[in-house]
Amino acid sequence: MTTTTTWTTTRGPLAQAASMTARSLASIRHQPAQLVDYLMIPMMILLSITFFMGGQMMGSWQAFLDYAGPTLIAMGLFFAIVSTGLGLFADIKTGVFDRLTAMPVSRFALLAGRVAADMIKHLWALLIVGGVAFAIGYRADGGVLGVAGAAAAVLLFLFASSWSMALVGLTAKSEEQIQTWMVSLLMPLAYTSTMFVEIETLPEPVQWWARVNPLTALADTMRVLLAGETPGGEALALLGWCAAILAVFVPLSLRAYRRKLTS
Amino acid sequence: MKYAIEVRGLVKSFGEVRALDGADLGAAPGTVLGLLGPNGAGKTTAVRVLSTLSVPDAGTARVLGLDVVRDAAKVRERLGLTGQYAGIDTGLSGAQNLVLIARLLGASRSQAKTRAHELIERFDLAHAADRAAGGYSGGMRRRLDLAASIVRRPDVLVLDEPTTGLDPNSRTGLWEVVRELVAEGTTVLLTTQYLEEADQLADSIAVIDSGRVIASGTPSQLKQAVGGLVLRMRPAVPEALGRLAELANWSVGAAPRIEGDEVAVPVAHPGEATAVMARVVQAGTDLAAFGLHEPTLDEVFLTLTGHGAEQKEEVAA
Repeated sequence: MTTTTTWTTTRGPLAQAASMTARSLASIRHQPAQLVDYLMIPMMILLSITFFMGGQMMGSWQAFLDYAGPTLIAMGLFFAIVSTGLGLFADIKTGVFDRLTAMPVSRFALLAGRVAADMIKHLWALLIVGGVAFAIGYRADGGVLGVAGAAAAVLLFLFASSWSMALVGLTAKSEEQIQTWMVSLLMPLAYTSTMFVEIETLPEPVQWWARVNPLTALADTMRVLLAGETPGGEALALLGWCAAILAVFVPLSLRAYRRKLTS
Repeated sequence: MKYAIEVRGLVKSFGEVRALDGADLGAAPGTVLGLLGPNGAGKTTAVRVLSTLSVPDAGTARVLGLDVVRDAAKVRERLGLTGQYAGIDTGLSGAQNLVLIARLLGASRSQAKTRAHELIERFDLAHAADRAAGGYSGGMRRRLDLAASIVRRPDVLVLDEPTTGLDPNSRTGLWEVVRELVAEGTTVLLTTQYLEEADQLADSIAVIDSGRVIASGTPSQLKQAVGGLVLRMRPAVPEALGRLAELANWSVGAAPRIEGDEVAVPVAHPGEATAVMARVVQAGTDLAAFGLHEPTLDEVFLTLTGHGAEQKEEVAA
């Protein structure tokens, strides 16, 4: 018989979330091909739209890349937030969360750990796909500082919007349903923003929405930062949106978690 | 505290279905309570309520005197759960699974590694400690799952059908581990579909059907009520049936029955069967076949539900 090690320490919710983050990333060691999966959506969106549609939209794909390259990357990453929903759905389905829920572990930590792990995956994809954009000729007037600022803006927005996908993952009945959410919610949201079209080219009734669309706030903030200008109202709109999304979806996700796993 | 696990009048419905319909259970500290029943009897619902994963509609459930609804956080500190669907992360290695649990429970990095290593050794998983748990066999998964539920040794351990789908070897191995834990003072609630498993492990058994406990008692009380072990003998020549029944009757005094071409002798334990066999051999009666049979869950249910209230009172502890 072995001796039973006991410990009396406890760790706070943030430390627990960090453990959950490490756990969500650890599977990469056993399946390194996942690293490529995270890149696929943003990479394909950037390359296909730039090369196949860019010329028609702006005369040359180079001109289109300069205008829309960074926001296309942001849009691709935005579609990738669906992984937060799929990940939570899988954790519930396999029974892993049953055990964790029956343990004295913060519920917030369980959800935040997943979101944080996905943020690291998004960061990885952003670095690689951003590198590709640079390799095919994208240059920002704002220099390194501008690029870093735009990247921070994207990551902040992804962090907030991932919580909406956490809610979807906790309430969905199937994986297909989560994919449907992506097509029916994320896509229209992206296409009715200034991500890669100018507001004036949109149908009149959509224009007012395009102006308040959070993705427009993100696209405009990125453009201002990348151009090396000082951000103003658009950055405030972006911050406001992020705060609002978090204020709504973090509590809703926690409530959905309680209903799903302890009802 | 009389009971480490105490359930009174527990009701839980899912839509129209009453998964639990006034169930009562009790397990004294340091004992094993076996919850025996077929699929859909309410076993898993009872497990989920006790492990704070489900809130009952009515009735109370206490673990170590703590109410599972009001004191859920305190219950979680002292309870370990092994669910029916192995709650392990298939993307992590066996060791990583255990380290994660230990870290979430407050262990430092080195404490977590030490504890994971101990459990890996104890549960005979050393050869696969660093392989992804997704590739484990059913028996290995169950062992890892059980190890995960005792990372910080729980005072109460809840096991939901821990050996369903396991081969006999893995099953016996798992039983050994449960016995060790009980010897260390853990109170165990175990659900099972196998009378043999409840008999092997449990100090007391509650038979559950349609969300109600229809019988409870010690394994021997329960087996007496349902007939217990049966020695079946088939004589080489049918003419010897009557003589065989007489011999069996003379030996133990229980009433043997002639069923078809066999004599069925209820016995309290295998020793009695040996005594009967010795009589038969001494008398020089040739047998074509013989065997000792445990009642199956089906037979238990037929007996318990087929006889109505009288039988229930007889069984009640």
